[in-house]
Amino acid sequence: MTTVNRENIKVLIADDEIEFASTLATRLQLRKFNTTMAESGGAALSAIEKSPPDVLLLDLKMPDIDGLEVLARLKDDFADIKVIILTGHGSFEAGQEGMKLGAYDYVMKPVDLNRLIEKIEGAYKEKQAG
Amino acid sequence: METTTFVDRFLPKALKSSIDLGLHRRNYTQFRLILILLITAIIVGSVISVAGLGYYYYRDLLQKEEIDQLHWQIDGKVKSIEALINNLTSVVQFTARNDRYGELLVGNNLGELFVRLKRQYPFFADLGVIDHLGIQQNYWGPYELTGTDYSGEDWFAELSDKGLYISGVYTGYRQVPHFSIAVRNLDPLSGKMWILRATIDASTLQNFIDTIKTNASDDLFLVDGESTLQTVSKYYGPLLTRIDSSFTAGVSNVVTSDYKRVFQVMENVKNSPWSLVLVKQQYFHHEHWQKFSKKLLLTVFVCISIGFVVVYILASALTVLIRKAEETQLSMLREAEHTDKLASIGRLAAGVGHEINNPLAIINQKTGLIEDLLLMSASDFEHKETIQNSLKVINQSIDRCKAITHRLLGFARRTDVHPEMLQVNDIIKEVLMFLENSMTYSRITINLQLDEQLTPVTSDQMQLQQIFLNIINNAIDAIGKNGEITIMTHMVAGDVRIVIQDNGPGIAENILPHIFEPFFTTKETGKGTGLGLSITYGLIKKLGGEITVRSHVGQGTAFTITIPLKSKKL
Repeated sequence: MTTVNRENIKVLIADDEIEFASTLATRLQLRKFNTTMAESGGAALSAIEKSPPDVLLLDLKMPDIDGLEVLARLKDDFADIKVIILTGHGSFEAGQEGMKLGAYDYVMKPVDLNRLIEKIEGAYKEKQAG
Repeated sequence: METTTFVDRFLPKALKSSIDLGLHRRNYTQFRLILILLITAIIVGSVISVAGLGYYYYRDLLQKEEIDQLHWQIDGKVKSIEALINNLTSVVQFTARNDRYGELLVGNNLGELFVRLKRQYPFFADLGVIDHLGIQQNYWGPYELTGTDYSGEDWFAELSDKGLYISGVYTGYRQVPHFSIAVRNLDPLSGKMWILRATIDASTLQNFIDTIKTNASDDLFLVDGESTLQTVSKYYGPLLTRIDSSFTAGVSNVVTSDYKRVFQVMENVKNSPWSLVLVKQQYFHHEHWQKFSKKLLLTVFVCISIGFVVVYILASALTVLIRKAEETQLSMLREAEHTDKLASIGRLAAGVGHEINNPLAIINQKTGLIEDLLLMSASDFEHKETIQNSLKVINQSIDRCKAITHRLLGFARRTDVHPEMLQVNDIIKEVLMFLENSMTYSRITINLQLDEQLTPVTSDQMQLQQIFLNIINNAIDAIGKNGEITIMTHMVAGDVRIVIQDNGPGIAENILPHIFEPFFTTKETGKGTGLGLSITYGLIKKLGGEITVRSHVGQGTAFTITIPLKSKKL
C-alpha cells in the first residue's frame, strides 16, 4: 500500500453550512490535508477557477447554485477533479444521481471522518493514476 | 354536510344513503325486510285490488243480468196464468147467459149443462145457481147444497159490486182443495140479479204451474193476498201453508231455511186473488260462478306466491349487492384516509428529519474536533477523562439520532422500483441469513414451510428484502427470547402469499388497528421509531400487494403478505 503525502492533496469543501464546513476543514487540516472551503456553489466555482483542487467535497443543497449544477459545470473544463458528494438530505437518490453525473462517491451526513478520509485518499490515488 | 330533505324525514334509517367512516353502519337485515315488505305490499295490493275489482264487477253484472232474466220469465208466466184465468172465466160467463136463470132452475137442465161442461173441461167440480138474496136455488155436484144461504159471505157482497168473483183455494165441505168462479147475471124476466157459481179443482192450477215451470226456476207457486200457498212450493211446503214472511211485489233477496241465497220475484196476476212467485238460486250456487271464484282465488294466490318468492330473491340479492358496494366504498375511503395520513405524516417526517440532520452533522463535527484536540494535547488536565467519556456518550447519542433521521428521511424517499424476476423463497432465505446472529442470540428458532413450486414474481428485490426484514425483525423484537417464528409461502389465487407468524405475546385488540400508523410504537422510548411497519405497509402497497395482521394476546401474531406475480403499478 503506497502512502500518500496528505499535504499534496488539495481538498475544497463547498457547503453553505459554515459551522459544519469550517469544523470539517479544521479537522482535515489537523490531519495534514491541504484544505480550503467555499460557502456557496458560486464561491466554490470561482475558487476552482483560481486554483483547482484534487478533491471537491460538495454539498448538494446550496442556496445559489446547487451541488448537482456545480457538478454539471465542472464536467467540461475540470473533469479531472474528483467530487465526493456530502448529502445532508439523507437521500440515496440524490447521491446516486450525482454518481451518474460523474461524482466519485457520496457520503451521508453526519459524516464519519475516518470513512471520509479513506474516500478522499482513494479519490486522490485514482486521480494520480488516471 | 348532511342535508335532510322532506322525504328523508319519512324514511327509515336503513334506507337512507349514508356512508361515513364512523361506527354507524346500515342495518342490512332491516333494509332487506323493509324492501321485501314494501314490494310485497305493492304486489299484493295491486293483485288484490285488480282481482277484487274484477270479482265485484262480474258479480254485479251477473246479478243484473239474472234479475233482468227473472223479470222476463215472471212476466211470461204471469201472462200465461192470466190467459188461463180469462179462459176459465169466459167459460163460466158463456154458460151463464142472462136469460137462462129460469131454465136452470127446472128439471135436469143444470145436470145436463154440468155434464156437457165436464166433458169439455174435466176439472169442473160442481155448479150452483144462487138468487139475488144469496140463497142457492139449484145445485149440481157431489153434495146436497141446495138452499144454502150465501148472503153473509164476503164474496157475495163483492160480486154484487164487480160482477165477477174468483176465490182463493180452500177445502170447503169436500176436504179437497178447490176454488170457485162466480158470475153475476141479470134475469131479464124478473129484472133481478142471479149468480152462477162454478167450483174448480185446485189441481188445475197445480197442473198449469207444473206445465209452465221450467228448469230456469227452482220454485214456482201461487200465493193469495194472505201469503197462503195456492200451489205446492218446493221451499215453503204443501198447499195452503201459511207463510210467515210476507211477500212483496218485485225482486227480493232471501235466504232460505237451508241457507241458500235466492232471488224471489213476485207479480200479481190480474183479475185474480193470486200472485205468482218465482224462486231462483243466486249465481253463488251456479257452477260457472263457483269455477270463476276458484280460478280467481287460485290466480291471486299463485301471483302473490310467485311475487313473494321473486321479491325475496331480488331483495336479498339487492341487499348483498348494496352491502358489497358500500363495504367496498367504505374500505376504499378508509384506505384513502390511511394513505393520506401516511403521506402527510411522511412529508412531515422527512421535513423534521432534514431539519435535524444538519445541526446533527455540526454537533458531530464539533465533538470530533474536540476529541481531536484532546488527543493532541499531551498534558493531562483535570476532568480530561470525564470530558472524553462525555464525548463518547454524545457520539453514541448522535448515532442514535442519525439512525432516526435517516429513517425519517427514508420515508419520503422516492425509491425507484427495479422490477426483475424473483423467487420469494430465496429472498426470505437471504434475509434470514442476515438475521442469523440476532436470532441465535435471542434463541429463536425458525420454522420454514416454503412452497418449492412457488411461481417467481416480477418485483423489486431491495424492497422485498426490506419488507421481510422489517416484519421478521418485528417478530424477533416481539418474542424477546425463546420462541419460534414460522414462515410459510404458498400460491393463493395466482398471487404469492407469505405468512410470518410468531408465538410472541400478541397485540392487544385496541392497538391492532393502529400498528401501521407512523410513529406508533409500543416499544419503550428510544428503542423504536414506530416507522418500521408503516414503511413496510407503504412498500407493500407500492409493489401492488396487501398486508393483513391477525393477533391473539398470549398466542402470537401473524402477518399475511400477498404479492402479485406482476403488479399493475410496476
